[in-house]
Amino acid sequence: MNAQVEQALDILKRGDPAALDRAIEALQTAVYSFGMKVCGNAHDAEETAQETLIRLARSLKQFPNARALAVWLYKVAKTQCLMSRRQSKFAPAQMLSLDELMPPHEEGGPAAANPWGVTPEEIVLSRESRERLEKAVLALPEHYRLVLILRDMEGLNTKEVAKVLDISKDTVKMRLHRARVFLRNELEKYFRREPPAARQGRTTTSVNYA
Amino acid sequence: MPDPRCKKIFAALSEYVDGELPVKNCRELERHLQGCKPCLAFIANLQTTIQACRQYRVARIPKPSPTVRAALLKALGKL
Repeated sequence: MNAQVEQALDILKRGDPAALDRAIEALQTAVYSFGMKVCGNAHDAEETAQETLIRLARSLKQFPNARALAVWLYKVAKTQCLMSRRQSKFAPAQMLSLDELMPPHEEGGPAAANPWGVTPEEIVLSRESRERLEKAVLALPEHYRLVLILRDMEGLNTKEVAKVLDISKDTVKMRLHRARVFLRNELEKYFRREPPAARQGRTTTSVNYA
Repeated sequence: MPDPRCKKIFAALSEYVDGELPVKNCRELERHLQGCKPCLAFIANLQTTIQACRQYRVARIPKPSPTVRAALLKALGKL
């Protein structure tokens, strides 16, 4: 989100009225993308973008810089998104135990630099493994998912994530590590079952970015 | 990972890959990694996972709704 928010603010600072639509589209991209990652469906992401940007229109003068605006947008968008997704406010918060996340110690086998035989680019460009990644993120309990999305997908630093979520930096680090390991374990199940040779011919690069 | 050292290393891996682990702990972790294939494979996969998250982009972004566009244009016009 940060890059798009900076782009929008740059356009606004230049004061070019013809470019205002580009600034609005950059803000839409920023908030909608975050909503999709957190909510996992287009309807909730659109609702999140709409409500967040209308609130932004009411308070646009209050932001000294792009970072401050981005933190505000994440805070509002997160609340909107969770309101859309929430089934019961009394649902207990699920905890991820580090002991349970720790995989079995498998001796033998080569210590390959890339044990899955796939690069990060290939994961996000292949429809199948990309969907695996999306499903794994959505399977994370909410408070872990938010930390992972803000830190690893949106590029906020630990301090900014702590500010958006009103939690301590230590809690951010703890949740981030568990969320990453959870995600790694989910992808491991897929790549172990579907080694690169078996995936050949089924991987496509047909994802169209806006 | 039955080795108690693996368990200790396991808890610190994110801080290590983020460059936030104190130097002394980094050295200890790297010494362990040199002799522990499972931990080495785990950290490689963890880094691939993190990089995939960093490179992930939402595929299709709809245009802002007319209501949003009108509200923002009005607010921006006042700046």
